[in-house]
Amino acid sequence: MGATEEAYFTPVVPMDFTYNYRVGHYLQRYLDGFKEKKVLGAKCPECGQVVVPPRKYCGSCNKVREEFVELSQEGTLENFTVGHVTLVKGKLNEVESPYLVGMIKLDGADNLLLARVEGLPVGEAKTGMRLRAVWKDQAEGDYSDLDHFEPV
Amino acid sequence: MDNKVAIVGFRMAAAPDIEITRERLAFNLTRGLFDDLGIERDDVGTTIICSNDFLDGRTISNVFLDPHVGAYMKDESKVEMDGLNALAYAAMRILSGQYETALVASLGLTGSQASPYLHIEYTMDASYDRPMKLLNELAAAALQAKSYLAEHGYSEGLLDEVAAKDLANAAGNPNQARRMPGITAEQVAASAMYYEPLRELHCYPPTDGGCMMLLASEKKAGELCDKPVWILGMGRSTDNYYLGDRDLATSLSASQAAAKACEAAGIKDPAGEIDFAEISSLFAHQEPLFAEAMGLMESGKAPDAYRAGDTAINGRLPINPSGGPLGGHPISSTGLIRAAETVLQLRGEAGENQVTKADVALVHGQDGLCAQQSVVFVLGT
Repeated sequence: MGATEEAYFTPVVPMDFTYNYRVGHYLQRYLDGFKEKKVLGAKCPECGQVVVPPRKYCGSCNKVREEFVELSQEGTLENFTVGHVTLVKGKLNEVESPYLVGMIKLDGADNLLLARVEGLPVGEAKTGMRLRAVWKDQAEGDYSDLDHFEPV
Repeated sequence: MDNKVAIVGFRMAAAPDIEITRERLAFNLTRGLFDDLGIERDDVGTTIICSNDFLDGRTISNVFLDPHVGAYMKDESKVEMDGLNALAYAAMRILSGQYETALVASLGLTGSQASPYLHIEYTMDASYDRPMKLLNELAAAALQAKSYLAEHGYSEGLLDEVAAKDLANAAGNPNQARRMPGITAEQVAASAMYYEPLRELHCYPPTDGGCMMLLASEKKAGELCDKPVWILGMGRSTDNYYLGDRDLATSLSASQAAAKACEAAGIKDPAGEIDFAEISSLFAHQEPLFAEAMGLMESGKAPDAYRAGDTAINGRLPINPSGGPLGGHPISSTGLIRAAETVLQLRGEAGENQVTKADVALVHGQDGLCAQQSVVFVLGT
């Protein structure tokens, strides 16, 4: 500690406030689809692009995506990273074993879905690999139902 | 641009831990700037503060800085993004004709006050990305890096070369926070892996810092300084929020913002007409990615450009001669510091980091996940 060092006042900013975000019926239908182990996307009437998860408003066209489309549960690994750390509340933590975060193009979709990729050593992941969805046994209409993707 | 706005002065500071209160930092920088220019607070027409409420832990965090930057009983407003957004806002207030001078005051204390990563963690979509728990600032940057390298078939060694160049430049710059004299690409390649392919030394360091800058109309600029630097053009663009909806191999926000700024400045061939650039590359891959997207470097030729030394201080088109954000990233101030470093170069006052030709320069700032938003200025003498 140098002579200029000063004391900190260390308030813990109470970010445990509860916010009620209306999810909207597009994400609600996406999660309802999970209960039946279905993956839904939404299609823009203007540009024709199908996005997953379904989001109501197309940012590029400023139009309402009116049509829901059921997507394949198989797709291609387009991009991925291997995580050697996690970030929780801004703090870097090391992990015991590296893990894969993938960006997957489901057949029938025009954008990429972020998901955990498992079922192979992390060093063997390659873009272009074919992957399929792996569901929890008991789907409950929660994001965690679509647990991860694994090689076909 | 038809009307002219000048940057007439600035003060900046950056360190891993600034070791004084944020209020004193704000006061010291502003008072120093006023003394440099021989002005008092009454000579300032309008003030734009750039700070981040979340990182500050206080909403409307600008109100706590008003006394220190001399903004009481004045027209003061706030920007919550990068400092270059505040610079654009201030320039527009002068262009409106209502003010002859504008102070831009930015502070970011992510070295000592709060983790820099909180900022992005809590900007993410609360109804999707946060419950999914897959994304954070580093994972997103790694996906962008991977996509960019794969698109062009570049090796990960490019990241080590870029970082070594920037960190060596930062070591020669007394205004930088992370200073590692003699750093080599091999040392960068040996630093801790975060998310592949990004290692610790490919990423910006947590940094305390700030930057205050005074703008003036053409009429007023001559009275305030001998070497005004002119805003020749500015542009901004916002890309899609969702990473899966974007082409991560390039940056639409950077290319579009640069196109707008260059058009306003009458620049048709950025690689041929821009003398050097200060780019807000928070991660090593972003420097060539943005440089290619903004037309400063031929697409697909980044490894050649770095190997040939084109981007070095004495190169054909120096990029981040200051060291860039790998040497320091005080969130809110980073883009404004890029502008300040550019002014130093254009005035020929950059010391051992001085580039040889400095008449027209490009400055880039970003905000959001993987530069969802970019701001670009073209500055000249």
